[in-house]
Amino acid sequence: MIKLLKIEWLKIKSYTGFILLSSFFALGVVTSNYIVFMFKKNVLDKVKASELLFSGSPFDFDMVWKTVSYYSSYFLMLPALLLVILMSNEFSYKTHRQNIIDGWSRFEFLKVKLALALVFALASTLVVIMTALVFGATSGSPFSVNGFENIGYFLLKAVTYNMIAILISLLTKKSGVAIALFFIYTIFENGVSLLLFFLAVKLKKDNHLDLGNLGNYLPMNASDGLLTSPFEQFSGMARNIIPADNNKLVLACALIYIVIFYFWSKRKMMRSDL
Amino acid sequence: MAILHIDNLTKNYKSVKALDRVSFTVPAKTVFGILGPNGSGKTTLLGIVMDVIKASAGTYTWAGNEGSANDFRKKIGTLLETPNFYHYLTAEKNLQIAAKIKGRGEADIEKVLKIVNLYERKDSKFNTFSLGMKQRLAIASALLGDPDILVFDEPTNGLDPAGIAEIRELIKELYKGGKTIIMASHILDEVEKVCTHVAIIQKGILKTVGSVADLMNTSAVNADVNCLIELSAADNATLKNILQQLEGIASITEVDSDLHIACNDKITGETLNRFCFDKGITLNKLHVKRKTLETRFLEITGKQSDK
Repeated sequence: MIKLLKIEWLKIKSYTGFILLSSFFALGVVTSNYIVFMFKKNVLDKVKASELLFSGSPFDFDMVWKTVSYYSSYFLMLPALLLVILMSNEFSYKTHRQNIIDGWSRFEFLKVKLALALVFALASTLVVIMTALVFGATSGSPFSVNGFENIGYFLLKAVTYNMIAILISLLTKKSGVAIALFFIYTIFENGVSLLLFFLAVKLKKDNHLDLGNLGNYLPMNASDGLLTSPFEQFSGMARNIIPADNNKLVLACALIYIVIFYFWSKRKMMRSDL
Repeated sequence: MAILHIDNLTKNYKSVKALDRVSFTVPAKTVFGILGPNGSGKTTLLGIVMDVIKASAGTYTWAGNEGSANDFRKKIGTLLETPNFYHYLTAEKNLQIAAKIKGRGEADIEKVLKIVNLYERKDSKFNTFSLGMKQRLAIASALLGDPDILVFDEPTNGLDPAGIAEIRELIKELYKGGKTIIMASHILDEVEKVCTHVAIIQKGILKTVGSVADLMNTSAVNADVNCLIELSAADNATLKNILQQLEGIASITEVDSDLHIACNDKITGETLNRFCFDKGITLNKLHVKRKTLETRFLEITGKQSDK
């Protein structure tokens, strides 16, 4: 696998899109958290009533893992977008055919892309861990790994997004279509998720049936739903009307979707004409 | 020894049959031409044996290895359809990737770039190359690792006349060096000049296969067919009807504004001209050619194209 990844690295290390999107991601993670940090410090902390909502800073350990994971996760579209571009470029320029003609098996081609998806997810997570450590250290609170599971949820979300990116690229094989479909799907799923959320609220209110947030059982939202805002105390006030957080079920859904994406991608790669 | 054995390969694209039960064997140390008009199924056939297209039915075996043995493909140098490289990488970096996938060292990158006259442009990005240069880079990539088997699909595509001559000479040299070359082409002249064996495919159906020498000396219609005559008159339809009365003509094909007839050498330009004149037809073109692969090809395929 290392040998395959080294070849993949030869392909991408000089690619401008890779350099740009990776830099944007790292920059986005740091600046978004910095903006929240400064907002809390300069705006919220100066409002007396905010003390009722927050005890301590969201950038104190343990909260910093949750805060940084949550805000950084908005930028996970970037590595996923990079994967869509890299993957569909292979199809557009037919280099995937050449890789196979030169001796890779179809599965090796897919395997290295999946490995790349995992590497991107791990690298993104590493950026988040380092950002959290810096902000946590800056806050002056004692170091703690409590809440580190949020980093795990971030990694899970990154893997899910990247797997969706690979699957969409395999299904469409065209750069423009794949990028458009990726964004359309994201918007579509968020729309459906919102409708399902309202349905869940209605079921709870009218029938006293709490099935959890149904929107969180969808592919992207399953991994989104595990990362919640550090300011969720706001929503806590409405806890009696919103559905419960079935985190274990949502986690199971997210893992099942990853398995489905893997087998779907494999089937497509192994069976279709390239 | 057979390098490639193809058995009843069939490929359907919905209702279109791109290949229909094609079977043949490529002997070792030959230049094996796969000849056919555009859209006849040549690239589909090569795509299947290189595992980028899935066959609907049938099997193939590379030098005794069942199915798509990936390790065996690493030992084959292939140019399939179009040169496929990373457009943002230089010629040298693209060849490094190909060499690493093939599991070969990078030592002969310089050598293959020199063979195809691209060494001076090794640091230029692929997207700055002309079509001919891209084609030459693809040939260089196929030569990496000095493979014993080479598969070329339309290798002279996009090349200028000098480039075409160079590639033909290269193929001949590779053959002399004991390599097996499988080459798909729709250019009859190209196949005739470099191939030792040929398979003719039309509309996905294998029409004939054998050595070029045997093919030229055998006619499915008439053993004596050895001439191609191009002719035309003001009324080609009447001319065609009249020619059908003449003995010794194997086939009559309409090509653009001419009629091409495959015939035996008893029919000379003089006898043909006199025959037409006696029937009240004045010819405005009469060109007698010796028997070529083109004669044989037209005799076998009969039609103008597979559109």
